[in-house]
Amino acid sequence: MNALLHTLDSISRNGMRHSVAQLGINYGFLPVILVLTYLAFGVLEPRFLTANNALNILKQSSYLIIFAAAQLFPLLTRGYDLSVGMVISMISVASAMIMMAVLHATNDVPLAIVAAACGGFGIGVLVGVINGACVAALGINPFIVTLGMQGVAFGLATTLSGGFPVYNLPDAYSKIFAYSNWLGLPASVATCLIILGIVHIILSRTVFGRSLYLIGASPRAVHVAGLPSHRYNALAYVACACLTSIGALLLTARTASGEPNAGGDFMLKSIAAAVIGGVSLRGGEGRVIHCVFGGLFITVLSIGMNFVRVDGYIQQIILGIVVIAAVYFDQFRRRTRL
Amino acid sequence: MYERRLDRSRAHTTFSMPLDNQTTPLLGRTKLSVVEPVFQMNGIVKHFPGVHALKGVDLEVFKGEVHVLFGENGAGKSTLINIIAGTFPPDEGKIVFDGEAQSSMTAHRARELGVSAVFQEFSLAPDLTIEENLLLGREATRFGLLRKAKMREQVRAMLAELDFDLSPNTRVGVLTRAEQQMTEIAKALLGKVKLLILDEPTSSLTERETEKLFAIIAQLKHHGVGIIYVSHRLGEIKRIGDRLTVLRDGAKIGTVAVAKVDEEQLVEMMTGRAAEVLFPRIEHRPQEEVLRVRDLSTASGAVRGVDLYLRAGEVVGLAGLVGCGKSELARALFGLEVLEGGRISLFGRDLQTPPTPASMLASGVCYFPSDRVAEGLALVRPLRENVSMAALKLSNFSWHGLLRLAAERIISQEKIQQLQVRPADAERPVELLSGGNRQKVMLSRGIIRDVKVFLFDEPTVGIDVGAKVEIYRILAKLQQQGAAILVASSELPELLHLSSRVYVMNRGKISAELQGDDIREDVILSNFFDREGTTFPRRANAH
Repeated sequence: MNALLHTLDSISRNGMRHSVAQLGINYGFLPVILVLTYLAFGVLEPRFLTANNALNILKQSSYLIIFAAAQLFPLLTRGYDLSVGMVISMISVASAMIMMAVLHATNDVPLAIVAAACGGFGIGVLVGVINGACVAALGINPFIVTLGMQGVAFGLATTLSGGFPVYNLPDAYSKIFAYSNWLGLPASVATCLIILGIVHIILSRTVFGRSLYLIGASPRAVHVAGLPSHRYNALAYVACACLTSIGALLLTARTASGEPNAGGDFMLKSIAAAVIGGVSLRGGEGRVIHCVFGGLFITVLSIGMNFVRVDGYIQQIILGIVVIAAVYFDQFRRRTRL
Repeated sequence: MYERRLDRSRAHTTFSMPLDNQTTPLLGRTKLSVVEPVFQMNGIVKHFPGVHALKGVDLEVFKGEVHVLFGENGAGKSTLINIIAGTFPPDEGKIVFDGEAQSSMTAHRARELGVSAVFQEFSLAPDLTIEENLLLGREATRFGLLRKAKMREQVRAMLAELDFDLSPNTRVGVLTRAEQQMTEIAKALLGKVKLLILDEPTSSLTERETEKLFAIIAQLKHHGVGIIYVSHRLGEIKRIGDRLTVLRDGAKIGTVAVAKVDEEQLVEMMTGRAAEVLFPRIEHRPQEEVLRVRDLSTASGAVRGVDLYLRAGEVVGLAGLVGCGKSELARALFGLEVLEGGRISLFGRDLQTPPTPASMLASGVCYFPSDRVAEGLALVRPLRENVSMAALKLSNFSWHGLLRLAAERIISQEKIQQLQVRPADAERPVELLSGGNRQKVMLSRGIIRDVKVFLFDEPTVGIDVGAKVEIYRILAKLQQQGAAILVASSELPELLHLSSRVYVMNRGKISAELQGDDIREDVILSNFFDREGTTFPRRANAH
């Protein structure tokens, strides 16, 4: 918001040309590329521009944006969470199983849903605490910690489910958390907006959020400044896992089943969305708005490619290239600012 | 002057410094009766993008001379020695080596001519052994095969001659910085050497190793090797230097005989300002004791049984060689080193738990690290966040974990202006600031919250003169307002002019506590080293 005000301010002061550069510095050039991509697919396939498809893009991107916002916490501290994808699968399976178990025992649908949500969220917190403790207290490299956790979560998700989706979840669950409209918005989009608001406030208005940026810029300086850097660093992983579990519960509602493959490529996509949006892999820089643009861009790209019938594997190749290019542009942006 | 030199060489026979031929007819070393320059350069100009690094510098080094290059960071010393070593060519200027004009100097050509350099940045491959490093690029081969035995023999002979305590098979990566420095020196001495460049060679050496290096330098001088010696340390400059060239802002200020200048003159030549202008007058008005340390030791062994006290309204210096434990002591007081024993009392009360940065800040103690990039500042973040960083948990900056952004903006802007940080834009990333302004941002932490005890580690390292003056002024002002200030510094002039008391450290212990008229360079330096067996000439006694 401040950046936007700053941009508007600079438009009035410095005229349009300068302010385009300012916009580029604040948001990257992604918003422009996003619009151009959207229009380009529209040219190739006019149906892409329908209101219905726009809503579909919003719905689909809301999950990714939630996971990208989750990823933002460790990214700010110069870390990352590679376990995001498999943790989604694990929570999807586990919460579905809890729901079915409670339903069988009590036949009480609301209780089953609440129990599943609490169970899923609880697992998320636990994963986050373990990741955070390993990174911050034991000083293990986040790459290894979260990669290991990814393996654990994958193993648990497949073992618990026997490799098959957990079907027959109560309709009410999907109805409320996937297909209902809250305040005129699809449930996942509304949840996503609420989460974005909360994350924005945490990052810009709390000592914890501020410390994450400072830790990313210089972890030792934060310690010397008397802030509990280890605790905050660990909390970043807890926050990430909490948001991941909320996203996972929403995904479970959408598919109406506990999916051992629900996480799929969300690990790469969540990091990609954040980085493409403008979150620095070197820590200390990045905002919620970056995750929004990045998440929208990746979703537009994949839905658009589906529209123009690009082969699924080719899509993977394109996504990979886009991520690498985004990181390159991140470095470029930093260099030119200096 | 001859008398003094003679006296020195007689009194300290362990250090058989062969003095250069021209000034020592009394010693009978008249082999080279005429002074021959081994190296000359004239009108050297060098531009880098946006920087006029050298503006027509002349330099001349005689055979068997230790020629000191003296100047502040950024004065052009590194550029000059890099040109001599052939790292890059000058834009303009003439280089004469051994009487021959050199049209183009390359690193290869320089080595052929016998120019050898030891830079501060080491050129060793960490995964190779000492032996492999020493022989890199000059492996002895026969029919394309390495002659290992012969090579090993060569290296052993070399290390034995140097009396360096190094095993040729050790991997360089596991060596301490001092050992790497010795390896680097050994490497420079392999083969034919006519001109040796040493860039701050003692900065990471212990006193014993420094002695060895000085003995080697003495030997090299004896053999007519010219030595260019870059150093800030007045003590060692006085001890081994023959002539000295001062650089400032890329220009040569002058060349003088080391024996003929005193420290004040050097500081003035280096900074372009008289010491009185550089250093503020400080009236020391020590009041009540605020900090007392008894028998403090760190687990690392860097600090061993230190006793020290600090009073409000005084600046206390902490002097000593690199590695003597002075920075570790300052760090230990702020909870950045693991303590092994001893007691710390603050404002008359013993600390019950080991200090942590948070607890010390809460009790009014703030530490200012020497490495401001790694430990002080969050470079990519704006000034505002760096200024408020150490005060975020105070009630004027946050309420139950929620930031008071408006208050933060106002207060940090105020501190930025108060300390005259330039540019005074609170939203600029700190990485765009100069060294001096970065230190001012650090200093703002001391005035943004109630700090009574300031612990400084090398407060002016990497800062230009103008900013130094400002930093000293700020220190003086803080002291006038009743702050207790501890300054650990390797810059003696700083300690001499600012401190009311100076503790000298040697090998983790306090070797002297000096006050009043005892705060003199010679007295401080004489306490840098071990008392018995020292070869250091105590000038105070020599005169």
